[in-house]
Amino acid sequence: MASADKPINTDVPEKDVFALHFLQSLSNLRRQNTFNSPEKTNDRVKKIKKAAYVSMARAAGGTSRLWSRALLRRAAKETNKVVRFSRRKKRVTWLRRRSNRRDPVEEEEKEAERLRNLVPGGGAMETSKLIEETAYYIKCLSMQVKVMQCLVDGLSPK
Amino acid sequence: MENELFMNAGVSHASEMTSLSSSTSPAMLNWASMETHQVEQSITRDVPRDCFYFEKSTEQSIFGSAPSSHVSSSPTPLNSNFSGGGGAGENYVIRELVGNLGYVGDIYGAPPASIGNSSGSCYATPMMSSPPLDAFSGDSRFAERAARFSCLGNRSFNGRGAETVPINGELTRVSSTSALKPPPAANRPVNLPGKEKLNPRSVLIPQLPHLLIYQRKLKRRKIRIRREVETQKKMERKRNHLIHTKILSMSGLDEAKPPIVTVSPNESVRREKISERMKLLQDLVPGCNKVTGKALMLDEIINYVQSLQRQVEFLSMKLSSVNTRLDFNMDALMSKDIFPSSNNQQVLRLESSSDILLADHHCHTLQLNPNDSSNNIMNPMETSESRSFNSQLPTLAHFTDSISQFSTFPGDDLHSIIHMGFAQNHISESNQVHSTSFQGPSNQVPSHMKAEL
Repeated sequence: MASADKPINTDVPEKDVFALHFLQSLSNLRRQNTFNSPEKTNDRVKKIKKAAYVSMARAAGGTSRLWSRALLRRAAKETNKVVRFSRRKKRVTWLRRRSNRRDPVEEEEKEAERLRNLVPGGGAMETSKLIEETAYYIKCLSMQVKVMQCLVDGLSPK
Repeated sequence: MENELFMNAGVSHASEMTSLSSSTSPAMLNWASMETHQVEQSITRDVPRDCFYFEKSTEQSIFGSAPSSHVSSSPTPLNSNFSGGGGAGENYVIRELVGNLGYVGDIYGAPPASIGNSSGSCYATPMMSSPPLDAFSGDSRFAERAARFSCLGNRSFNGRGAETVPINGELTRVSSTSALKPPPAANRPVNLPGKEKLNPRSVLIPQLPHLLIYQRKLKRRKIRIRREVETQKKMERKRNHLIHTKILSMSGLDEAKPPIVTVSPNESVRREKISERMKLLQDLVPGCNKVTGKALMLDEIINYVQSLQRQVEFLSMKLSSVNTRLDFNMDALMSKDIFPSSNNQQVLRLESSSDILLADHHCHTLQLNPNDSSNNIMNPMETSESRSFNSQLPTLAHFTDSISQFSTFPGDDLHSIIHMGFAQNHISESNQVHSTSFQGPSNQVPSHMKAEL
């Protein structure tokens, strides 16, 4: 079975894709009237953060990854949108969650617990899949950080 | 990545800095210059002599050549800084500065040691160059520090200026972005009324960036410490919980497990998979090569993910503050900011040059001087061309900018980027007009690049 594994693909789209998505989301945010009010800093920060994560999820391939799906689902929940994912996966993940609850006895499972809490959608994955998703997640996160850093550098006063 | 590790090794303690090897010391120097340059920018530019001496001594001590002798010959602040002695307020501040150089230099993800991090992971959050952030509340200590820092800044580190030796591309970028920012408009209106009490902007305008830098640093440290404590508590709780569940599960019946892809008898296969993927992760996470064993590696990975998430949060905070002040100019953003990744030295040149540049001139100069960090060749060409360009529509400047930026990339990227950049311009109609008119020269640019390549 080990030989039957297809090569793990952790290619992440280019930086511009991330940049594009993030800028689009930011411009959308900006169009909201309440966005630029200076009093609600925390709200603004949260919105931007959420926009960052959602745009990252979209840039990373939408629903093709578990964590991005979970992110989008989480975001949609807050806005009460209806998000449709294929139901079959849902059932599998639910079952897996149940089995995983019983697992964390070994040392590595405990660590995996921590990782599961960090990576969105991690609770529903088996450990090997979790690690793969984490790798992809890390790549996307670092891309997103780079994009945001560039943005901030560019926007900060010269 | 190795550079980052290198820097990490160098920055971990201020006391170690005197023993830095010469290869990292220029790096350190750049960070020092960057940080100090931030200090300088906001303060009036009168430069007393002793600042220069201070700089010299900094160099000497950092280069580690007979540090003690040089330090003794240097002015006292440096001495006390590196020997760790407390002293006047500015010594304290300098020590803070130097000790925090790691944070400062961390803009591009170089991992310095985090002071509050007990697990010793190498990841810290990015520190901005000099944006004044009002979003953070500080303590009264900050005002105190600001006062100290202001008197420090008055005799501060001018003279580094924009001339930074490009040691590696990353650091060049770091120093360039700071060096090229003009003094921040310290009179920018503050939009956060709740922070009036702690905001020294009305009182001591020059210190604000530093105050905010300190605020940010301390706040990040606090956050990190808090999170460490929280995670440790969580681990404790989880372990207790696990003990309970284990007892329960052992007593209870084992229900038939639902069909999962990997069946439990294939433990070895599973473990193999896991180890295989761990190797993948090892490459991704910086600093994981030394660590062996799953548990430690997982720790590292977890810390890295946490730090990345914190970075995102932090940057979003920063963005939110920056956003209020500036006009969110999409095309300018797309052009200038997002793509300075390919060749940092070229970016240095591009960023330092004036706004209006011709694309083909960029091509020429880039071919001619791939490693030249000076702008001499470009400038005379720029000015002549900029005049002619100025006669045309002013908004074309944005597009020339974008195109000049894009010309740093190989040709096939250009089309997509330019199209993306133009796709963004549905905001204003005038931009669309200009975009269509500009398609001609933009199409010429990639062919130009290709011909020269």
